[in-house]
Amino acid sequence: MILAADAGNILVWIVWVVAAFACIGSGIAVISFSNPFYSALSLIGNLASLAALYLLLSAEFVAAAQVLVYAGAVMVMFLFVIAYLGGQADAPWAGGPSWQSIAAVCASAALLVEVIVVIGLKSGGRLSHEATVDSAFYGRPYQIGTLFLTDHLLAFEITSIVLLIAAVGGVILGAHSRETT
Amino acid sequence: MPALPAPGAGQVNEVWWISVIKALVIINLLMLTFAYMTWVERKVLARMQLRYGPNRAGPFGLLQPIADLVKLIRKESFFPASAVDILYIGAPVLSAFTALAVFSVIPFGPGWEVNGWTINGEVVNVPISLVLIFALSSLGIYGFIVGGWASDSKYALLGSMRTCAQMVSYEVSLTFAVLGVVIMGQSLSLVDIVHKQAETFWFFGPQFVGLLIFFIAGVAETNRPPFDLPEAETELVAGYHTEYSGMRFGLFQMGEYVNMITLSALAVTLFFGGWYGPYAPLGPLWFLLKLAVILFVFMWLRATLPRLRYDQLMRLGWKMLLPLATINAVVTAALVVAL
Repeated sequence: MILAADAGNILVWIVWVVAAFACIGSGIAVISFSNPFYSALSLIGNLASLAALYLLLSAEFVAAAQVLVYAGAVMVMFLFVIAYLGGQADAPWAGGPSWQSIAAVCASAALLVEVIVVIGLKSGGRLSHEATVDSAFYGRPYQIGTLFLTDHLLAFEITSIVLLIAAVGGVILGAHSRETT
Repeated sequence: MPALPAPGAGQVNEVWWISVIKALVIINLLMLTFAYMTWVERKVLARMQLRYGPNRAGPFGLLQPIADLVKLIRKESFFPASAVDILYIGAPVLSAFTALAVFSVIPFGPGWEVNGWTINGEVVNVPISLVLIFALSSLGIYGFIVGGWASDSKYALLGSMRTCAQMVSYEVSLTFAVLGVVIMGQSLSLVDIVHKQAETFWFFGPQFVGLLIFFIAGVAETNRPPFDLPEAETELVAGYHTEYSGMRFGLFQMGEYVNMITLSALAVTLFFGGWYGPYAPLGPLWFLLKLAVILFVFMWLRATLPRLRYDQLMRLGWKMLLPLATINAVVTAALVVAL
């Protein structure tokens, strides 16, 4: 909305409204479908509309990477597993609230409060500041790569180690189940 | 490290209606190429198997694609009673749409100046066109998966499961194989990569390993023989499109062929200097010529190689291509930094 007001561009605003509502709608659809296959498809829609929002923020590379990695590759694995195992999942809240559902509700409530606080601060003008945007390189792979390897090197390396651990864990789990069968 | 040119430098914006006209022309050319690919493929296969191939509709069977089109349109679009309507109908549309959309970023010429209007050599020029191609084509896979699932048939489901596993396995190698070219071209923009090749040398020489991996993984990504397990006739009837008929099947078929054309065009762009050739004014014709050669190799493979077994497919993807592609990318990066 802020972007649209600055640019005075009606098209940007329309795309923003459509993508934002698609994002919320598909998010609700993910948790309300009882068939996990539909939930996974909604999640793909959610990730794709999120990518559209990234595009509006001039983050083309992040948008494309989001579609390529999450909507493209990760969700294919989700669909694979769901279609293979098939079956109907239990309806949400079946058999009374479990501790997971309660924790999930608490976590989303916390996120909601955070969003409201941020919007409140933003509209009060306490968070806004002029960011320096180098228009030629802003959001481009060059700039993202530079940031990864300079300012955010530690976070980048820790993330890669977490991923490595996950990969090793996957191999161990797979090897273990092969021995027992 | 050479100074980095500003992304999209030297890029002149063209008027929007020129882009629209160009998109229309390219899409129609693409569909025409697809239609005649089916004819050429049947002819080539037939000659390789000492047959004549289609020779009844028109001279040399040249009207065969049109006859096929009329047949597909007039055929009943069969609909399984237990299929999921929206997904069943939407799946072929999705795969055909993404296949056609991907081609929009492939550069086919240097750009022209006609009557003072600037015409770029591609439908749209985005600075991250390479990532965009992979992103869009990874969405196209959902057409095959969802179509197979929504058909509610065992053969179709097994076919789409195989598609899932095969695509995930080979997509990684495909992306890694391109990494070497990206490092050498120092850009994710296909136009920049083509220009870089014109300035230095075509990348198929130094990136020969990358080209081999790209091609093998590409054949697997497009479900072409010898990697056509998702639609293996002898095992799965027709795989994920078993329950499709008429033009819905036609859309799936179009998606597959257009994907193959796009992949060949990408190989031309990344490894064989795009539209550049010994005689510059020919421009797009060089592109078409190189494209035709690569497409012929696709058909040649189909006529020559038997289908892989499933475990061979997985072993080739994960244990040979992926490590090789990783080593190729690392060695290229080290050499580019060192030299």
